[in-house]
Amino acid sequence: MNHDEVAPAGEGAGARMAADRSERGLLRRLASLRLTLGLLALLAVGILIAQRFEEARTWPIVVPLALLAANLLAAVATNGVFRRQTALLVFHLSLVALVLLVAAGRLTYLKGHVGITNGAGFDGELAIDERGPWHVGNLDAVRFTNDGFSVGYAPGWQRGATRNTVLWRDGDGRWQQSVIGDQEPLVLAGYRFYTTFNKGFAPTFGWQRDGATTVHGSVQLPSYPLNEFSQAAEWTPPGSRVAVWVMLDIDEVVIDPHAHSAFRLPQAYKLVVRVGDERHEMRPGDALRLPDGTLTFDGLRGWMGYRVFYDWTLPWLLAAGAVAVVSLGTHFWQKFAASPWNR
Amino acid sequence: MSMENELQILWAAVVAYVLAGVTAVIGVILGKRPERTVLALSVAGLALHASSIGLRWERLGHGPFITMFEILSSNVLSLMLAYTLAYWRIPRIRASAAIVLPLMFVMLGWLMVAHPGEGHYPPTYNTPWLYIHIGLGKVFLGAVLVAVGVSCVILLRRAGIGLRRLTQLPGDRQLDELAFRCMAIGLVFHSLMLIAGAIWAQDAWGRYWDWDPLETWAFVTWLTVAFTLHARVAFRVSPAAHATMILAVFVIAFLTFFGVPFVSMTPHQGAV
Ligand code: HEM
Repeated sequence: MNHDEVAPAGEGAGARMAADRSERGLLRRLASLRLTLGLLALLAVGILIAQRFEEARTWPIVVPLALLAANLLAAVATNGVFRRQTALLVFHLSLVALVLLVAAGRLTYLKGHVGITNGAGFDGELAIDERGPWHVGNLDAVRFTNDGFSVGYAPGWQRGATRNTVLWRDGDGRWQQSVIGDQEPLVLAGYRFYTTFNKGFAPTFGWQRDGATTVHGSVQLPSYPLNEFSQAAEWTPPGSRVAVWVMLDIDEVVIDPHAHSAFRLPQAYKLVVRVGDERHEMRPGDALRLPDGTLTFDGLRGWMGYRVFYDWTLPWLLAAGAVAVVSLGTHFWQKFAASPWNR
Repeated sequence: MSMENELQILWAAVVAYVLAGVTAVIGVILGKRPERTVLALSVAGLALHASSIGLRWERLGHGPFITMFEILSSNVLSLMLAYTLAYWRIPRIRASAAIVLPLMFVMLGWLMVAHPGEGHYPPTYNTPWLYIHIGLGKVFLGAVLVAVGVSCVILLRRAGIGLRRLTQLPGDRQLDELAFRCMAIGLVFHSLMLIAGAIWAQDAWGRYWDWDPLETWAFVTWLTVAFTLHARVAFRVSPAAHATMILAVFVIAFLTFFGVPFVSMTPHQGAV
C-alpha cells in the first residue's frame, strides 16, 4: 500500500472528525442545563424590566427567549433524555412552538379602538391603532352596524351587563344580527370587536354646506358617566372652515347612583353650541346658520367604544398550550407511576 | 342570615384551625402523636369555614372572589383542604402539621383584620372561566404548600431542631422526592391556570396577555417553578438546597396571589 496516497486522506478524515467533535462540543455546551438555569433567571429579570419600562417592552424578553430556544434545541439534539422520554420531548417542543407562535402573532397583530354611534356603521377606519409590521388583514372590507346597546348599573354606579345589538354582512352578503357584550365579541374576518366601558352620548347633526347636499354625522362626547362633568367636544363640519364647540348640559339624574338603573339618553337637556363668540342652545330640529352652511340638530344618540383585536395565532396558541400541559402531565405520570416516592 | 352569623361561624372555624395547629406543635414537642385530634379539628374547621363562605355566597349572590377578605378566606379554605387531604392520605408526613398549620396562622391573622364588607362584582366575572381559573390556582398553591411543609421538615432536621418526632419521618431523600412531586403537580396546575386565564382575558378584555402586574408575577412564579425542577434534575442539588428553593417559590407565589392584586390598580382587579 502506498502510504503517500493514504496519508492525506487520513489526515482529512481526522480533521473532519476533529471539526465534528468541536462542533458537537459547541452544541453540547450550548445545550448545557446550567445555561438553562441562567437563561430562566435572565428571562425573569427581562420580564420585570419590560414591565417597569414601557419603552423596553421587546428586547429584554425576546433575547432571553431566543437564547432559551437555542439552548433547548441544542439539548434536544444532544441530550439522550429527550430520546428516551417522548412526553418530555413533546413538552419542550411545544414550549418552542408557543414562543414561535407568540413571535408570529406580534409581527402580524392589530389592536385598536373605534367609537360607533348607534345606527351608524363601521367603515373600516379605526380611531387608534397599533399593528405588527407584517399585518395583512382585510379590515377595509369589514362592515357592521351598531344597532343600539344597553348597560345595566347597580347602586353606586357599578356597571353590570352590556348588551349590544350589531348587524353585519356574512360571506354571502346577507345581513345577520347578533348580540355581543362583556365576554362576547363580534368576529369578522378575524377581527374581534369587543364592547367596552367606553360609551356615551352623541349629538347628531345634518350639515348642508352651501351649494352641497346635506350630510349627517355625529359628535361623540367623552365617555359617560366617567366624564360626567365634561360633556363637550369641538368639531368641524365636513368641508367647513368654522370649528363648532358643542356641550351637552344635562338637567336630570341619568344613572341614579342609589338604585338599580341603566344607561339611557337624557330627556331633560340643553345642547349648547358655540361658534366663535356666539352661543346658541339647540333643540332637536333646530337649525343654525354658519358662515358657510346650515347645521341642523337631529337629536341625541348613544355611542359605543369598541376594542378591536386581530391575532390569527389564537387557536394555535391554545392548541400548543394544550399539548404542552398534556405532555407535561403524561411525563410526570409515567415518571411517578414507575416508583413510589418513599421507596 | 346576617353578616354577623357568618363571621361568628368563621371565628369558630378559626378557633378549630388554631387548636389543630397548637395540638400538632405540642405533639411534636412532647414526642406524642395526637393525629386523630389534629385531623378531627382540621375537618371541623373546614366544615365551619365552608358553611360560613356558603352563607355569604348565598347572601351576596356571588362567590368569594372580590375583596381581600373574600380572597383570603377562600384561599385559607382551599389551602387547609389541600393540606388536610395530604395529612389524611400520607400518614408518614403528619408531623409536618406542626409547621404548616402555624404557617396558616399568618393568613388567619390577616383574614381577621381584613374588612368583611362587600365589593363590586364586575360583569366580566359572569363566566365559568372564573371558577376554572381560580380553582386551578388554588390547586397550585395547595400543592406548593404541601411541598413547603415537607421542605420545612428537611430544613429543621438539618438545623438540628431534630426533635424526636421529626426523626421518625421518612429520610431526607424520600421527603425531597415527595416535595419534588408536589412541585411537579404545582407546575401542571399553574400552567393550566395561565392558559385558562389567557382564555378569559381574551374574552373579557380583548387581549390574552398584556404583562399587567399580576400576569407578570404569575409568569415569574411559573419560571421559578421551572427553575427549581431543572436545578434538582440537572445538578442533583441537596435536599436542603431544594427545600430552600421551594420556600422561595412559595414566597413569590404568595406575594403574587395576595400582594400584587392589592397594590396594583390594573384591570386584573376586575371592577369599573
Ligand atoms: C422554559 C421553560 C422550561 C420548562 C418549564 C421546563 C420544564 C421541564 C420539566 C418539567 C422537566 C422534567 C423534569 C423531570 O421530570 O425530571 C424538564 C426536564 C428537562 N429539561 Fe426543561 N423546561 C424548560 C426549558 C428547558 C430548556 C430551555 C432546556 C434546554 C436545555 C431544557 C432541558 C431539559 C432537560 C434536558 C430535561 C431532562 C432532565 C432529566 O430528566 O435528566 N428545559 N424540563
